Amino acid sequence: MSAEKDKSKVHKLSLKGSSKLIAEFFEYSINTILFQRGVYPAEDFTAVKKYGLNMLVTSDDQVKAYIKKIMSQLNKWMTGGKISKLVVVITSKETGEHVERWQFDVQIFNRPSKKTSSKDTSKPPDKENAAPTDTPDPPPEKTEKEIQLEIQSIFRQITASVTFLPQLDAGNCTFNVLVYADADSEVPMEWGDSDAKEIENGEKVQLRSFSTSNHRVDTLVSYRLAD
Amino acid sequence: MATASVSTPLKSHHGIFSTRTAGGRMPLTPSPRIRTSSLATNISNTSSPFTPPRQTTESTRIVSQSTYGNVTSLFSRSTSRTTYRDSPKSNIAKAKKSPKHLELGVSDWTLTGTGTTVGQTPSKSAARKKGPLRTRSGKTTIRLEAGDRFIPNRHASEGIVTAGSGKFDESQRPKTSSGEGSAVLANAVSAFDLGGLVAEDDATGALEGLSLEDGEEVPSYTKPAPDTLAYESSLATACGVSLNTRILAFKPAPPESSKPIDLRSQYNRPLKPANAASAQFRRRVLTAPERVLDAPGLVDDYYLNLLDWSSGNQVAIGLERNVYVWSAESGTVSCLLETAADTYVSSVKWSGDGAYVGVGLGSGEVQIWDVEEGTKLRSMHGHDTRVGVLGWNKHILSTGARSGLVYNHDVRVAQHKVAELVSHASEVCGLEWRADGAQLATGGNDNLVSIWDARSLAAPKFQKTNHRAAVKALSWCPWQPNLLATGGGSYDRHIHFWNTTTGARTNSIDTGSQVTSLRWSNHYKEIVSSSGFPDNSLSIWSYPTLVRNVEIPAHETRVLHSCLSPDGQMLATAAADESLKFWKIFEKKPGSASAMSREGGITGKGGDMVKQMTIR
Repeated sequence: MSAEKDKSKVHKLSLKGSSKLIAEFFEYSINTILFQRGVYPAEDFTAVKKYGLNMLVTSDDQVKAYIKKIMSQLNKWMTGGKISKLVVVITSKETGEHVERWQFDVQIFNRPSKKTSSKDTSKPPDKENAAPTDTPDPPPEKTEKEIQLEIQSIFRQITASVTFLPQLDAGNCTFNVLVYADADSEVPMEWGDSDAKEIENGEKVQLRSFSTSNHRVDTLVSYRLAD
Repeated sequence: MATASVSTPLKSHHGIFSTRTAGGRMPLTPSPRIRTSSLATNISNTSSPFTPPRQTTESTRIVSQSTYGNVTSLFSRSTSRTTYRDSPKSNIAKAKKSPKHLELGVSDWTLTGTGTTVGQTPSKSAARKKGPLRTRSGKTTIRLEAGDRFIPNRHASEGIVTAGSGKFDESQRPKTSSGEGSAVLANAVSAFDLGGLVAEDDATGALEGLSLEDGEEVPSYTKPAPDTLAYESSLATACGVSLNTRILAFKPAPPESSKPIDLRSQYNRPLKPANAASAQFRRRVLTAPERVLDAPGLVDDYYLNLLDWSSGNQVAIGLERNVYVWSAESGTVSCLLETAADTYVSSVKWSGDGAYVGVGLGSGEVQIWDVEEGTKLRSMHGHDTRVGVLGWNKHILSTGARSGLVYNHDVRVAQHKVAELVSHASEVCGLEWRADGAQLATGGNDNLVSIWDARSLAAPKFQKTNHRAAVKALSWCPWQPNLLATGGGSYDRHIHFWNTTTGARTNSIDTGSQVTSLRWSNHYKEIVSSSGFPDNSLSIWSYPTLVRNVEIPAHETRVLHSCLSPDGQMLATAAADESLKFWKIFEKKPGSASAMSREGGITGKGGDMVKQMTIR
């Protein structure tokens, strides 16, 4: 046990490394969702070994470039600790309705940049009402392997979720990426304010979570119930 | 910081109803909507009963301001202020919203808003039902009372947070004297730091104004809560939304899906991708030419058809004013004819039996030559422009000319012209009979593909306008008689596949370059296209998957003509680089001889032949 603990200390991820890991997780998540939900044809994806799984990553140049653009900005925000949520919304091209919404909640432990006075003053009274999960304590440190296993199980779950998610009008859907960022984040031209693109009367399913020493990511899919 | 965050909810509140219009700042606090709705759900209450009254609240407020002045001059004093005060107060009100409030939203509002109605129906449930409907009708009557009602509600507001709305009625009713109420209000206002903007002398007016214009919202929310922020943030955290969070969307539209997707096939997907599996079984195509011949003087003109391979295994090629015949059997070359000095050969075509060759000339004359004898059998006149394309159907020779006209000639009779096919407005450069002679396809420089029924040549059966450039490449599928492939010129670059029974386009390929000719394979479910700029290549496409199996860089300049050997294994191509190349692209596998569909098994046994030779 003690030996393991020592090991975990050696492999402890820095905040930066953790951000990178999470950004990478997002990238694979987006790809996986696009593949699993048939937003792009299956032939456009190639298998890559990652997290001990065969992850499918788009090989379509345009889609690749699109995701790359998103990721480059996301990386910046992640390292700055500016992001609280990443959302992939699948929208019907025909009706413009949001049919599926994949939400990844990010919690950052020991947030260094969150020292604004207003926040601090508002915190104390807040505690009474806050839900117990609101102020999570950093979990015991994990080894990279443990983290990877957690991520792996999320992807397994995303993959498995196609069994209960309603069949999409495949090929007739498009997707959008939303980010819940801090108000003081730097926003490049390509990103603009948006509504939450929530699904009206959607069914929600909480999937697994994973955490690193600095972050915790919860996964939630909401989808429109079949009429 | 505090004020900034507090003032925003008003905006975002409007944003609830039209999220798009609120402009840049709106999403700064995207929470209200989420907050309310998600909270509502938390309390196992739907958001819908809550929102409609909200809307009406807005409307009454506006109306109250306008009608107000009419009702009493006293009130008009404060109208300006009312608007003024409007925002800070309602902000606080907004911020004050607590889960409990939300639940009470409807009845709460009804009580204050519909003055008389409420009085008559103190019962909570009744009020709730009537609430949204009554508000509009009761608007004007409320005005005077509204000022008084401020107090009770204030008191009640405590109760609202903790207890139910039932208390309202009791506390509200008794205290209707305005004087008393306003005095208390004045104190209250200043005490709560709401009245910072109110001058003392018109405190009453201000109070009245307050209560009036803020209508329903103020009374229920005025409690200036030191813990406003706490509520706000608790709401925010409860919903997982931070107040200083904004939702950002990546604006550029995602790329379109390259093709329709059937998820079912994806769910049953084999572990190995289909492509990889097929790759190892994909047939290997020889990419080097089998033989290269010089073809000096080949006219670099896309609209001509100067190469053809007969069923007797002879290749005829038109080089300027001459037609040469190269025997693939023996490798010998003979000059068949030389035209008059004032014209040139614009097209050559072997008859089906391989005995005769039709030759179109730049003058519009069409000649028929007996190759064995080396003699001209006849000349057929009729066209007055160059004949760029020929096609045999047994004894019928179809000729397409620059004028856009296509004539059918019966070569056996003196009055040879048997039909005039009018459809093209510009030069006809593609013409192909179906193997059974039942249909004829023509393509022209007017970007038109015409499909004719041999029995009724008065008008084309179908006219296809999908190509955006001249259509020279035409080919009928050997294994599916009603399948026609057509390829467009340099502006079009597409190959279209047609069902010539229905006229429907069944498939398309964007080749990326000018399509100069198309040939179906007899043995494989494949079609080869030759192309011009930029690749000058041959591409072999699988059909119907439309996957490009191989691309062979064939010539240095654009490939002008192509034709298949009678056994279907070899493709001859002539290009503007004045060379004639032979490609064994459809090589038959040993053992699959039964698959031979065309007559003869004549292979160019040219082992003794030199690699390079000049036809001339």
